[in-house]
Amino acid sequence: MDSKHIRNFSIVAHIDHGKSTLADRLLELTGTVTSRDFSGGQAQLLDTMDLEQEKGVTIKASAVQMRWQAADGETYELNLIDTPGHVDFGYEVSRALAACEGAVLVVDATQGIEAQTLANLYLALENDLEVVPVINKIDLATAEVAKVTAEVAELLGVPEEEVIAVSAKEGTNVAAVLQAVVDHVPPPPETDADAPLKALVFDSHYDVYKGVIAYVRLQQGRVDMDTPLLMMVTQAKTEPVEVGVFAPGMTPVKELAPGEVGYIATGFKSVREARVGDTITDARNPAAEPLPGYQPAKPMVFASLYPSEPDDYENLRTALEKLQLNDAALTYQPETSQALKFGFRCGFLGLFHMVIVQERLEREYEQDLVVTAPSVAYELLMTSGEEVVIHRPSDLPDPALIQEIREPWMKVQVITPTDYIGAVMEIFRRKRADFLLTETLDQQRVMMTFDVPLAEMVIDLHDRLKSATRGYASMDYAFDSYRVDDLVKVDVLVNKEPVDALAIIVHRDKAYEKGSLLIRKMKDAIPRQMFEVPIQAAVGGKVLARVNVKALRKDVLSKCYGGDVSRKRKLLEKQKAGKKRMKMLGNVVIPQDAFLAMLRLDED
Amino acid sequence: MRRAAETALQARATTLYFGGGTPALLAPADVARLIAAARRWLALTPDAEITLEANPGPLDASRLAALRQAGVNRLSLGVQSAHPAELAVLGRGHSWEDVARAARQARAGGWDNLSLDLIFGLPGQTLAQWRHTLDAVLALEPEHLSLYGLTLEPGTPLAQAVASGAHPAPDPDLAADMYLAASEDLHNAGFWQYEISNWARGAHSALEVWALPPAGETERIGPVSRHNLAYWRNTAWLGVGAGSHSWWGGSRWHNVCHPRDYIAALAAERSPIAESEVISTALERGETMMMGLRLAEGVNAARFEVRFGVALAATYAEALNRWQAAGLLVWDGARARLHRRGRLLGNQVFGDFLPD
Repeated sequence: MDSKHIRNFSIVAHIDHGKSTLADRLLELTGTVTSRDFSGGQAQLLDTMDLEQEKGVTIKASAVQMRWQAADGETYELNLIDTPGHVDFGYEVSRALAACEGAVLVVDATQGIEAQTLANLYLALENDLEVVPVINKIDLATAEVAKVTAEVAELLGVPEEEVIAVSAKEGTNVAAVLQAVVDHVPPPPETDADAPLKALVFDSHYDVYKGVIAYVRLQQGRVDMDTPLLMMVTQAKTEPVEVGVFAPGMTPVKELAPGEVGYIATGFKSVREARVGDTITDARNPAAEPLPGYQPAKPMVFASLYPSEPDDYENLRTALEKLQLNDAALTYQPETSQALKFGFRCGFLGLFHMVIVQERLEREYEQDLVVTAPSVAYELLMTSGEEVVIHRPSDLPDPALIQEIREPWMKVQVITPTDYIGAVMEIFRRKRADFLLTETLDQQRVMMTFDVPLAEMVIDLHDRLKSATRGYASMDYAFDSYRVDDLVKVDVLVNKEPVDALAIIVHRDKAYEKGSLLIRKMKDAIPRQMFEVPIQAAVGGKVLARVNVKALRKDVLSKCYGGDVSRKRKLLEKQKAGKKRMKMLGNVVIPQDAFLAMLRLDED
Repeated sequence: MRRAAETALQARATTLYFGGGTPALLAPADVARLIAAARRWLALTPDAEITLEANPGPLDASRLAALRQAGVNRLSLGVQSAHPAELAVLGRGHSWEDVARAARQARAGGWDNLSLDLIFGLPGQTLAQWRHTLDAVLALEPEHLSLYGLTLEPGTPLAQAVASGAHPAPDPDLAADMYLAASEDLHNAGFWQYEISNWARGAHSALEVWALPPAGETERIGPVSRHNLAYWRNTAWLGVGAGSHSWWGGSRWHNVCHPRDYIAALAAERSPIAESEVISTALERGETMMMGLRLAEGVNAARFEVRFGVALAATYAEALNRWQAAGLLVWDGARARLHRRGRLLGNQVFGDFLPD
């Protein structure tokens, strides 16, 4: 198709504002899929993973080509690029948006503008996208159509008439969205017919038969089955196995032309070779420069995954390998821990990414896991002048060798009803946050901006915010900077032995508070043993706090006669099975969930 | 009973036990009929131990004398406590006066084998109160005592009362102290502990708490419960009546619980069995250990080998060594028995003898 008749756009929205439902209606309206395709329980076609449908969040980007006859009688090729719906995947979102000229901004008419609405809008504007404003769910009784329309119009500086009111669920006014895309989203820019190929990889997935499928947007040049390919960042070379478009299934085409969106099956064996943000060029006639904006995936949150049964170590490794084929952001390294034996230290883009990986391992790969409390990457400047990055607290060297410790800070935006300003302030104050400013959005709501150490966020910030504001507040965040702070490692000693998996790094001012809380939680989690078990929190060998798990004195069935034998035996068998699942720390038996004690640190 | 006899053709009963619920409400004449039936169908031996469980409240002198006349020779009274407040916590309908009177009347009615049950570790119970109950009970000069640590069974009114805060939660460490105090007090009073929760007035005096019985045979101690001894030695028994359990020929089963269903089943010549479990040899060995280690005599290695055709040492080498090393078990090659210190931690030990 000539580029004048192409429109590349994405839909952006706050979670649950109806992005996927709107996408479904567009696919239906353009005849790309029939409504029958939606039967059989798969409500949202673009969210293909079970987890995506369940969490209502798109994890992988996807791209669908639609053809639609507009009011002018001409047929247009509309490429809808769906973006990941969570801030952990901010980089992936930015690359998907870079593949577009326009974005449909969906706002829930019952909720109004939320934190991610703004974050996504700003991202779209940064990418010079034309924004098509839509308010959704106007069929609901609680919809405040006029108010939200005015809010959105004011935010974008457009007349209220340009805000399209739809009900994606009922299909009301959805055609107006497509017409607005044709009218307002510019076609891809004209390029020189001889310009060398530059195809932006905005996502990929691994296919057993065709290798890595790179999702591409051609900025210039053409690609067909005869084009030898060069990945400009990774320098990997390959021949296309297939070139095609998503319509919505993978459909081979002869070639992809400038401005078009589609896929190239690369035959690569790992998504690492076709990274999001890389530029594919023609190896015979390579472009001089790759497209701007590439960033290597950088894990921010780290946690250790151990198999519940040590025998499952190899299975876990295989599962991680398979998962990594599709997830370039996931990193893992073998590690050992005294109690948990052999496992992996894994890096994730954020907490949500971690949860997704964990759940996929458990569900799709049937792994029974022990997951340690999440931590962050610390940058160390050693007295020798050397710079070191550590991914787990127990790796922190002797403080005497360290000149400074830097930890990642995030910039966090919270939109909350004014009633909860005090509650939000209090939550962030306890998280060592710097309060930056409050902006008034309307009479009822404000946006508050904080800088917060990521280490304080990974535990329970989101849950706390939701519960303190009865679910009304929304939050968005992005990495800000590494900052120097007075940080110390708190070791937890069980029966005088430091336990690597339980060490935490905290601000010196909080060492006592966190340390004593942590050992109290540990005390509750560790069953009484046949001897007294001291649990201590220590910084640099100096004990800050100590509690004792008293020795078990009484564990016996008092009454055991003929009629009791089966029942009492089953009780003992259950006790024995429970004991088997526990971990040994020296001669202390520890249940697996004791390793999550840190996650419950802020409960009091 | 005839049905039970058909199941167990070679049965030759040496003990008979009327238990579960309130068998003392049976008319003494009916008790006599049941004993006669047991003699006829189950070859109950002339010198059999015949025990009847009873609550102290509803007993009176004439009933006690009549039951004794009917052939019952051992009386087990559910005393529980000498303190009104503790009896109230347990929801018992009798008083300490009922207990003292019943014991007196039993003696007058010719009973010479009296066993009393007590419960310790009650919500709000102090160590001093517990020792007072022990003193009061010893003054009745029973032949036998059973001391049970309270277990809060989920769903019971007492467990609910504790959960709701109406009673303080029992302290397991205090319960351990009470157990050890009782163990000392009863030893000093001439009782011999022969099982984790059971004491008999010793014909000989034991040198120490939890001593090995004379010649390693519990019966030599004195008036032990011979019936319960059969359970702990994991020998066969037959249950008759609604809800009763049996262990015979490699199977364990129990009858339907409701008397109405039980009667209906028998009237229709149907089996009253509600549930049956086949016990594998490996399991039977494990249960033999689990039950036998409850006894001060422990598990006799020679008998084990005769019964199962394998050596005890070889079968349980790892568990024996582990718990011997931990100081909770004594294994001398002839018998395995809990160490004195192991009495309160039996569950830690027993599980290792059960098959995986």
